Amino acid sequence: MLKLEDVTVVYNPGQDNEKIALKEVSMEANKSDFVVIVGSNGAGKSTLLNIVLGKLEPTRGRYYLKSQEIKKPSISKMAHLIGRVYQNPNSGVFSNLTIRENLKIASKKGNRGLKFSKVPKKAIDLLKELNMGLEERMDTVAGELSGGQKQALAMVMAVITDPEVLLLDEHTASLDPKSALRVMELTKMINEEYDVTILMITHNMEFAERYGNRKIEIDEGIVNEHEPINRLSTANVRAM
Amino acid sequence: MIAILEQGLIIGITGLGVFITFRILDMPDLTVEGSFGLGGASTVALIVAGLGPIAAILLGMLFGALSGLVTGLIHRKLKVHVLLAGILVMTMLYSVNIRVMNAPNLPIPRTSESTKLGSYESITGEDPLAGILGDSGGDEAAPAQEKRTETTPSKERRLNIFSNNRDGSDLILILGIIAVLLGILFVFLKTDLGTVIRGFGSNKQGVEAFGMSMDFISLLGLAIANSLVALSGGLFSMYGGFADVTMGQGMIVTGLAMVMVGEILFGRFKPVFGLVAPVVGGIVYQGILALVMRYGYKVGFRASDMKLMTSLFIISVIAFSLLNNPNKKRKFKGKVKSLCSNSKT
Repeated sequence: MLKLEDVTVVYNPGQDNEKIALKEVSMEANKSDFVVIVGSNGAGKSTLLNIVLGKLEPTRGRYYLKSQEIKKPSISKMAHLIGRVYQNPNSGVFSNLTIRENLKIASKKGNRGLKFSKVPKKAIDLLKELNMGLEERMDTVAGELSGGQKQALAMVMAVITDPEVLLLDEHTASLDPKSALRVMELTKMINEEYDVTILMITHNMEFAERYGNRKIEIDEGIVNEHEPINRLSTANVRAM
Repeated sequence: MIAILEQGLIIGITGLGVFITFRILDMPDLTVEGSFGLGGASTVALIVAGLGPIAAILLGMLFGALSGLVTGLIHRKLKVHVLLAGILVMTMLYSVNIRVMNAPNLPIPRTSESTKLGSYESITGEDPLAGILGDSGGDEAAPAQEKRTETTPSKERRLNIFSNNRDGSDLILILGIIAVLLGILFVFLKTDLGTVIRGFGSNKQGVEAFGMSMDFISLLGLAIANSLVALSGGLFSMYGGFADVTMGQGMIVTGLAMVMVGEILFGRFKPVFGLVAPVVGGIVYQGILALVMRYGYKVGFRASDMKLMTSLFIISVIAFSLLNNPNKKRKFKGKVKSLCSNSKT
């Protein structure tokens, strides 16, 4: 599904401020994998994220997605392949638009025309599965939702068009513990029911252990660990 | 009263353009100062060149759109802040507008016959920049007086869409234009593409996450906004009967004032995605301007003080919003910061 082969990223090569952000990183994520990526600030997580999104070219090494080498990909192609949710709840939704309009935007990837599309049924079904009552508030402006609701909506928006990979960049970091747990449950459900490969960057080691089935630890651009995790059952998580 | 409504509605179209850039796209675009003049200059110059007024105004809109595109390209491709990109294009357009008119100003001929006269130079025989550079032109002006009479009879045609009779016919025409504009914009902003444009202002990166290019949306938005401003400039020139290179000066502040007045009047109610507010704001602004010009002298006010007052009004609205709602403090702080600091988008 997703494969990095000896990827090295060097910022400002040959200059005084040269910095090796990633050093010969090799990793692989298969379909339905729930990969958690952990590491301290400045370890190279964001660089890895930018490589995966195709925003950054490796200085050396190769990056494959669905067996195709990714080199200067189009915005549209990467949007089709990778859904993404970031730390800031406002960065995943359009806060001045209604829930309906947000879902309308997310239901297509690539260029839009002068059509009047409707919200697909899958989006409504996903909203119902959240059990947050958002499907009954379709004309509410997204900016009026709570942080947890915004992140949940952002996740629905990210998976409406069936991406191969869902990239989560500390997506629960700005939420209160209850909302964070709820969003993590939704993440797990998406992973299991929709067979989406998940790459989750997090500082929350508890979530990493409970939800991920593989863990990658990055330290100063080097992958130190690459270990399987025995995921706890949902019942255990709820109990905690 | 009719004149106030007419002028208010015409500059209200500029308010629409400013609303699109400042409120919908969240991009403070100063190109407006130049594109308003470009719309006026190109419309009048094209009429003088023999084109029909409607074709001239449509081409003026196209030129306005192009000026927006240039700003967008400088901003997106050269990574120049949109404020500086706008200032650069605005400055360039000052020279372009003089080139377009071949003079600092250009009247719309009253009849089609007089269009044969062409530019300011051919009308007056003077160097159009002579006054500015300190050269009066002197005796060379005399032969030009003869030229003025050298007109070739031709079939009469309409050179101005306005009758300037103050009988309400112009008002109906302007209202019709505004209604068509609002209708087109409303339908457009409801389409898939239009929805993305509306979302762009609140989450620029998000647009890219859903597969659309930020460059495309920025360029399209700036082109639409500046085509509206150019239309406003073209109509303003037709209404006044001439175009002047300085006619766009201060239009950004005027446009912002119209947007803010409209927002104060409508509050949270945003008919037609908030597009009605700047148009109504334009009428109110023009009304205030007329009152100040009529009665302001009693308190020692001059017409030339209007730009100072407009800027002070905008500052007051921002300050009042801050004082009135402490919760908005951070939001406004961020807004002012985003206007002043370098954009990463």
